[in-house]
Amino acid sequence: MSLSVNSRESKVAVIDLNSGNLLSLETAIKTAGYSLATVQKPHVGLLTEYDVLVMPGQGRFAYVMQQIDATGWREFLQEWVRNGKRLVGICVGMQVLFEGSDEDPDTNGLGFFKGRCQKLSHPKAPMVGWAKLDSYKLTMKDQYAYFVNSYAISECAFGTAKVNYGSSFSAAVQRGNLYGFQFHPEKSGQFGRELIKHVCQ
Amino acid sequence: MYVNNKDSNSDLCARIIPCLDVAYGRVVKGTNFKELLDMGDPVELAKMYEQQGADELVFLDIKASVDGQQSALDMVYKVATHLSIPFAVGGGIKTLDDVHKFFHAGADKVTLNTMAVEKPDLINQISTQYGSQSIVVAVDVNQEEDDSLALYTHGGSKRVDIDYHQWISEVVDRGAGEILLTAMHKDGTGSGFDTDLLAQFGADFPVQVIASGGAKGPQDFLAAIHAGADAVLAAGLFHRGEYKVGQIKEYLINNNIKIRNTEC
Repeated sequence: MSLSVNSRESKVAVIDLNSGNLLSLETAIKTAGYSLATVQKPHVGLLTEYDVLVMPGQGRFAYVMQQIDATGWREFLQEWVRNGKRLVGICVGMQVLFEGSDEDPDTNGLGFFKGRCQKLSHPKAPMVGWAKLDSYKLTMKDQYAYFVNSYAISECAFGTAKVNYGSSFSAAVQRGNLYGFQFHPEKSGQFGRELIKHVCQ
Repeated sequence: MYVNNKDSNSDLCARIIPCLDVAYGRVVKGTNFKELLDMGDPVELAKMYEQQGADELVFLDIKASVDGQQSALDMVYKVATHLSIPFAVGGGIKTLDDVHKFFHAGADKVTLNTMAVEKPDLINQISTQYGSQSIVVAVDVNQEEDDSLALYTHGGSKRVDIDYHQWISEVVDRGAGEILLTAMHKDGTGSGFDTDLLAQFGADFPVQVIASGGAKGPQDFLAAIHAGADAVLAAGLFHRGEYKVGQIKEYLINNNIKIRNTEC
């Protein structure tokens, strides 16, 4: 189908923020056929060497932001996004693309999207398990995704998928080359694998 | 709850979780003579259950305390690099360092039973360092001769003098993300889950409860979910090939339970 002139495979780098295990994500990206590097610190060569940056995050909002700031990722990611390059945030890695979170009100997020994370309004927390996505995107419509979170973005003008847990929240967001997934594509079965392949293309 | 109606305020699905007993890096089955029957390769069996529609898997290393951990860690790494659904690992976890090794090898969650009772601080430590979603506390209860329910550890061999209700509240306070609640008096009987027990921890309970012990057929899964279980764990009926995960799910979907449909 594709008549792309630039048919070389994408080069994908996963940002290691020392926040959770990267094995499943790395396996998913490699299985999709992309060349993969895991990077702890930003360096200027990344801008020319890589096409896609994937930023997974687990744990508290403040911890993930502290890792981002301590290793100099904040400035680098601003540069990356300014250049229109693709950035994919997963779980807390999506939350930090926003301005902040009620989990740690004094911590500033990256602010690529407007809005703040709020605690899920459901008696059982964390939300753990599978939910069907309400999405207009063919890649996500009516698919089941695996969630593990206690906080989420409730409203976003750039939301591409929604899910209900106590109330509605943004399961996925996208603006241009900036992607966020609140769920874990690397744990979401065959659907998740295909989504990773698609988003790293 | 998990009933499928459009006014529900939750899209979360009830999970179906096959449980595999492992020893020395193989899937095994205990017999009455304490011999272990080799049931196959963990990666192949895990992939088979993933294809059948399992939402998650649990591996319990029933010999971990004897064996040391290397074979279990090797197995976890292989499973993690071949599976695209989450899985928990339990058996023989004694310290925060053990927990770190299992997460490093690729496990999504750890399950604690004996150590939770003997060193309850470990629950707080794991929850603080890795988050409550990473820890499942397995609570084994047995119906005694006077019909009261008693708490057990050591794979169901040692009775503990703690009220199970009080214990469950305590592990939740300490940061457990889920409770794996096994009714020992139902385990292996095929007489269905203990729905009275499950009903004590229903929709308003602050963490999810995984029902275990007694499944014979799809109607037992339905009864457990109706009683309030958020997820249902079973071993024998899957391993013996009596039901595929997909058949259980189809039955639940036909009975209007919110389930991750993998048949499309």
